Amino acid sequence: MNIIISGLIMGSMLALLGIGFSLIFGVARIVNIAHTAFYMLAAYFIYQLSIKLGLNPILGMLIAVTTVTLLGLLVYKFLIDPIREHEGAVLIATIALAMVFQEGVLLSFTGDYLTVDFLIDGFFTIGGVKVFYQQLLTFGMVLLAMAVLWFLLMKTKLGLAIRSMAEDREIANLMGMNESRLAMITLGISVALAGFTGAVLAPLTVLNPYMWMEPLIMMMAVVVLGGLGSIKGSVVAAFILGFAEAAVVFLIPQGAFLKGSVALTIMILVLLMRPEGLFGIVFEEER
Amino acid sequence: MLLEIAHLTVRYEKAWLINDLSMSVDTGELVSLVGPNGAGKSTTLRAITGLVAWEREIKRRSTAGNIHLEGTVSFNGERIDHIPAHEIVKRGLVLCPERRRPFRELTVLENLMAGAYLERDKKKSRETLEKVYELFPVLQERSKQISGTLSGGEQQMLAIGRAFMSEPKLLCIDEPSTGLSPLMRRDVFDKIIQLKSMGITILLVEQEVRTVFKMATRNYVLSSGKIIAQGSGEELLENEVIRKTYLGL
Repeated sequence: MNIIISGLIMGSMLALLGIGFSLIFGVARIVNIAHTAFYMLAAYFIYQLSIKLGLNPILGMLIAVTTVTLLGLLVYKFLIDPIREHEGAVLIATIALAMVFQEGVLLSFTGDYLTVDFLIDGFFTIGGVKVFYQQLLTFGMVLLAMAVLWFLLMKTKLGLAIRSMAEDREIANLMGMNESRLAMITLGISVALAGFTGAVLAPLTVLNPYMWMEPLIMMMAVVVLGGLGSIKGSVVAAFILGFAEAAVVFLIPQGAFLKGSVALTIMILVLLMRPEGLFGIVFEEER
Repeated sequence: MLLEIAHLTVRYEKAWLINDLSMSVDTGELVSLVGPNGAGKSTTLRAITGLVAWEREIKRRSTAGNIHLEGTVSFNGERIDHIPAHEIVKRGLVLCPERRRPFRELTVLENLMAGAYLERDKKKSRETLEKVYELFPVLQERSKQISGTLSGGEQQMLAIGRAFMSEPKLLCIDEPSTGLSPLMRRDVFDKIIQLKSMGITILLVEQEVRTVFKMATRNYVLSSGKIIAQGSGEELLENEVIRKTYLGL
């Protein structure tokens, strides 16, 4: 039971992060190492707004996600866009950005472990395991976000343009799709997803300035397993990894120590045996 | 003149792909561009639709080599050589690219709707879609199918249909018959003639010279990035040197 609950929550969180990371990679070939740093920032914003300033937590969440998204767009405009076609430079710039966020958080909130209150208290028990209502709420919110995203991508013109651009940007240009505008919008969506994940997960996790690293590695593993650029792949892989990690933690004695190695092991195996991942897309320029 | 190209030059690093090329297409014509492999036919189409400039921008930003692009391109009396590719489509100059290049992960219908991306009026794009289905009934049958699973001929129909969705005044079609069976080829050429009769001006790049000469109003023969001859199909076939050296007939 523990495995299921923990796996579902971990998996859904990784799915949201992985989708966002995949989206912007697909559309603009940007490998955004700072992706999970935005997730951290959102969590800290919520802490600041709801604990320090005593704002309504839900209002705090909205403000946090909006601020993080705007920050992401600014960063895109002034840092990433000028070097967008230079993969190495983007990699370095986004690592630097993540460091800046980390140090910024360290300076303003110190390195202490912080927590955010549950939105709803209480729990119920199934199979002898306590399930907090907050866990259900977080899971529900993540599912809702996924549904909204699915609708956006599959049923709207913007989604069609994003998917077209992700597959073959030259042809998408020929259809009149504006590449830099779409990249900007997609980055906005991607960072908003990271921010949203941070916001809904904040009550269930412990905030510290290094909290972006572990999900980053997990998210990379998700994207490698699912196939870079594939959204369906990200979702499936996220739950596989979420459950795999939960299973290791709960089934193996002292398994918590092995937690970090699960993702990396899977990542290495996938790269060795099936480098394109489960649902990998071959991009047109590589064909 | 609907399309007028003057002194177009394209150079990738030290390779001269197009060298001082001038040509024109008038409204209602079906003009063909033929010549041996590597003559610069596709590059010409890519240059006028803005793709060479787009590539140059990417190369410039990633500092991975240099593309040199010169000359003027006018469409409908307006200079378009400094307009980005996604803006050129709006003016009705549409390219149906080499190797068809459907969005393989998308369904047939989604591909067609991607072609109509710029059309804001839903009713109008539905009407255009009806026309495409009339022209290519097979696309309607397969509208829900993932495009990567279509046959080569069907993918070509899809590529032309998708270009048609962008409401072209001038449609550039790059090597539509490559890799198709003789039967399928004839079908594709029939459709191109049908498009012309619907009032769309066509600039066609093709390997199959004999068929094209029968269809086209005018032809340009391209070799090493230069126009070396032009005229009707009969005129060009009468010229022994051109026929043997450049057309391989």
